[in-house]
Amino acid sequence: MDATTKHRLLVVDDDASVLLTYQLLLQEQGYEVNAAISSKKAKEELRRSNFDVVLCDLSLEQDRTGFEVFEFARQMYPAIPCVLLTGYANKEATDRAEVGGIEVLFKPIEIEEFLQTIRTVLKNRHAKKKSNEL
Amino acid sequence: MASPALKKRLPDPAAFIERRKAPGESTALRLLSAERSEEIFPILLEEIVGLGFPRAMVLEVDLESGDIKPTAWLKCNNAQLQKFRTSLWSTENPVVASLHRMKPTIIENGGLRNKLLYSHPIIYRNRDVCWEAERERRPDCLAVQNFFAPRKLQLSDQVCASCGMRSYVATVLVDIPGDVEEGLQRQLRNLIELANRYLARLFKVQHYYNRMRDMDVTIAQMHTLMQSMADPVILTDTHHRVVMLNKAADRFFKAPEGVTEGGARAVELNNLLFSAALSSMAVSGSESSRDLTLVDVMEGEEVLFEAVCAPTYTTDTVRSGMVTVMRDVTDLRRADEEVRANLSKLRDAEEIVRQDRDRLNLVIENVGDPIIVADGAAKVVLYDPWAKELFGIADATRHPALVKNQAKLDAYLTSFTFSFSDKENRPLRLYHPGTKAEVEYAARSGKIYNARGQVAFTVTVLRDFTAWKRLEQLQLERRMLEVEKFAATGRLAGTIAHEINNPLEAIKNCIYLLPGKLQPPGEPVYEILKGETERVMRIVRQMLGLYRNTDQAGPFDLNTVVEDTLTLFARQLATAGVVVDKRLGNLPPIVGTADQFRQVLSNMVVNARDSMLNGGKLIVRTRHLRASDGVHGWLDLVIADAGGGIPKKMVDSIFEPFVTTKGEKGTGLGLWIVKGIVENHGGRIQVRSREGKGTIFKLTFPAVR
Repeated sequence: MDATTKHRLLVVDDDASVLLTYQLLLQEQGYEVNAAISSKKAKEELRRSNFDVVLCDLSLEQDRTGFEVFEFARQMYPAIPCVLLTGYANKEATDRAEVGGIEVLFKPIEIEEFLQTIRTVLKNRHAKKKSNEL
Repeated sequence: MASPALKKRLPDPAAFIERRKAPGESTALRLLSAERSEEIFPILLEEIVGLGFPRAMVLEVDLESGDIKPTAWLKCNNAQLQKFRTSLWSTENPVVASLHRMKPTIIENGGLRNKLLYSHPIIYRNRDVCWEAERERRPDCLAVQNFFAPRKLQLSDQVCASCGMRSYVATVLVDIPGDVEEGLQRQLRNLIELANRYLARLFKVQHYYNRMRDMDVTIAQMHTLMQSMADPVILTDTHHRVVMLNKAADRFFKAPEGVTEGGARAVELNNLLFSAALSSMAVSGSESSRDLTLVDVMEGEEVLFEAVCAPTYTTDTVRSGMVTVMRDVTDLRRADEEVRANLSKLRDAEEIVRQDRDRLNLVIENVGDPIIVADGAAKVVLYDPWAKELFGIADATRHPALVKNQAKLDAYLTSFTFSFSDKENRPLRLYHPGTKAEVEYAARSGKIYNARGQVAFTVTVLRDFTAWKRLEQLQLERRMLEVEKFAATGRLAGTIAHEINNPLEAIKNCIYLLPGKLQPPGEPVYEILKGETERVMRIVRQMLGLYRNTDQAGPFDLNTVVEDTLTLFARQLATAGVVVDKRLGNLPPIVGTADQFRQVLSNMVVNARDSMLNGGKLIVRTRHLRASDGVHGWLDLVIADAGGGIPKKMVDSIFEPFVTTKGEKGTGLGLWIVKGIVENHGGRIQVRSREGKGTIFKLTFPAVR
């Protein structure tokens, strides 16, 4: 993949080692990956630069949730694709994700499924972008 | 009564003349030759004239009218006869006076032709009492009284009190010449007395003769009477020999002519039985009765008699025999027996009814619930002990709340009794004297109708509803506890799984990053690491699934869950070559947690998919099994695969945790979780499997709880 097509991904997880492995995994796939360990850090990252996809854990530091991050991202980039990663998504969370057009992946994540999902949302985003340009 | 009519016709004079001329015949013998009383007077008159008196006549008194007239005479002319016609009341007549005195008298200037007339009255008299007086031992015999002390000539007095015989009274009139000797007069008197003695004797004989004739008539009447009686009458002597039988008795005791041998034997037997009965009756007392079964010879049937026997006596109170009257009581006895049989049947029926009643009472006493029986007017006729307690029937001073109970019951009974329904089932809040609290009772009532279709009785059973409800509540709580336990287990597992989840996520990602960074000898170790990590992941996923489903329970449609799950797995199933045969029936909602059912379905579908390595058919069927009330009932869900099946030795333990047919790939938790969820919803899970053919799971749930 060349630099011009390199997608920027933001990964948010409150578990440092998990965050690191996601980052390594995705970088190996050729994405430019920024990692944030909290919602606060995530918001800072979002303010600093724009992203193609936001991947976020449901439960973050204290009582913060991934939805907070998604909402912030959507405020800045309304059409930004979001992927929720969760260990235990209750119905309330999955319903909310569905309403917001947010993809949900259950931990432990099947890596192939994980990568496929990212590819799919990026493709959809491109299709959208192209249709908008037209 | 039966007085002999004295001479009414004159004897042939020639015959008397012949007798008189018979040689060597004395006066006494001539009188004795008279066989009838009317023959005495002609002989007497002839003898008187024979003594030398010119003429004589007999004046007789008619004791019915009192007339006195000549009835026999000799050598008297018509005018002379007319002269002496008189009556008993003409006492101035010297002849009548002599009659009243009843003494021989010589009347001067009263003669027929001469101046002197001898009048000698005669009357029926005898020295011995008559037969009747003797039999009845009465002293007042007219003949004897007349002999000893002649009574006044009263018409009524001259009838015998004992035998009813009417006396005769007459006087013999003799014309006496003036020169008659004393000796001749005495001879005359003796002659008349002698004649009267003979006359009295003949009169008595004739009286008895008449009496005999009367008795014949009486006997004939009695005989007719006896014969005309429909009941057999038998007269026997002291030796029990039959003296007389009536016709009705003949039937049984006399063999008719040309009778068969059997008939003759029957008669013989009848006689024998009768003699035996008679002997026993004679011993047992003056009047007694016996039952006697005799055979009717003509009809050949048995007749039951009641023989009543009375002894007969002679005038000396000596037993002369027995009179036995037999009454046909066959019909009477038959009726009696029938009545007795009916009575005994009635008693038996009564006994059965009594036993039934006792049994029923026993049942009522042992039900342990208040039972009330009321009549057709809603008036209570029976309380069982529990009802008595509930309504305070035995208490003299009732608790006001019990009086209120009674009022509620009365209102309930009235509304039920006069309603059109046969049965009633309604809650009734009553004060319970034991717990001193209002308790809800379930009143169940039924009606008993009489033959006319009117309500005869109503029976009401009260069941303590709270006790029932309490039990139900207890069961529910116990099940809730089970659910809670299962949920707690799930939560614990989920929490652990969640804690494991993040480190696992990192490990798994690291393993993914390893390839190419390892030395060749490390390759097998890498494979083990990868495989085992994946297994841990699957376990954690199941456990998280359990924890994840903490939604509120509510009604949901099972078919929707089935459809969702099948859609979710559609691609995977298609890839594995599994064809889904979906047969979903119309279902009522289930109350439960839909997400838990999603897990059930996905576990089952994944199992089915994994069992069919080379593809096959997956049948998913839902069905509503209606209960008799049409509302409740059961749902069943069948998931059948055509996979490898479950090995026989594992079938029994398939629902235990960590038991799997998938080896390394399985967690052994799927069916354990399925069973837990199914049972939490009051359902059941059954499995049938054949190795190499497939497996059928059948899940059953109550439709509405």
